[in-house]
Amino acid sequence: MDHNWGYVAAGYGITTGALLVYGGWLWNRLRRAQQSATDGD
Amino acid sequence: MSRNARRVFGGVTLVLLAITAVLALWVSPADKEQGDAMRLLYLHVPTAWLAYLAFFVTALASALWLWPRTRSTTWDLLAGASAEVGVLFTGLMLMLGSLWGRPIWGTWWEWDARLTTTAVLFFLYLGYLALRRTADTSEQRGKRCAIAALIAFADVPIVHFSVNWWQTLHQTGTVFNPKLDVQIHGTMAVTLLLSVLSFTMLYVCLTLSRLRLAELEEGREQRELELAIAERIAAEHPEPAVTV
Repeated sequence: MDHNWGYVAAGYGITTGALLVYGGWLWNRLRRAQQSATDGD
Repeated sequence: MSRNARRVFGGVTLVLLAITAVLALWVSPADKEQGDAMRLLYLHVPTAWLAYLAFFVTALASALWLWPRTRSTTWDLLAGASAEVGVLFTGLMLMLGSLWGRPIWGTWWEWDARLTTTAVLFFLYLGYLALRRTADTSEQRGKRCAIAALIAFADVPIVHFSVNWWQTLHQTGTVFNPKLDVQIHGTMAVTLLLSVLSFTMLYVCLTLSRLRLAELEEGREQRELELAIAERIAAEHPEPAVTV
């Protein structure tokens, strides 16, 4: 039986990376938008 | 949801995701036929479930926007936020399926019913997100996108039942199959259940954050528009000079 750990590592790695990039982008944009809304008040 | 509640919810989500990763990669046993490649199930199934859930929320919010009694910009913004997160999870689901298919089926991609209808779903919602950027007003955007979202959602049941309606390389559902015969047990079942729960909580966190961002950006655009109109009126009708 071939264990195929390479495919597992790629799947978990790409998923983690994509979620971190999207989450980071969202967090950054949200922080800037909140700052901008506070400055505008 | 208050700021503190959001933080607690986000923290619990991260802890559950970490526990899921430990269970999926170390505690859960390898499959006797597929070996460790089967561990991709713990990501592939929750991302597939979230694609369905996200596009259902988009369709529901769109229907609520279209119905005059419940029409609110928030429904339109929620539809957009959920669709964006849904596209992310659908893309991940396709990537994970491809990585799983290569060692088990011997191919990265096959034009079978499940894979093809899922690819169509991905591109339908990419188109929906592009459509959201084309409207001049929020009213125009709401109407166009609500109709498009309801049409696009018709593909979701086709994706789900494709493995029952046609002969496909893709297996039938592990849990939600026609006989509701659950084909996973013990530690594997617990890990799968936990991964679905933790990823659903992650979807809630991401969608609520995306909705908050959309509301802030919508408010800023509205303020800029009102300011531009006020400046234009002031330029066209200058106040007469006051003489004493």
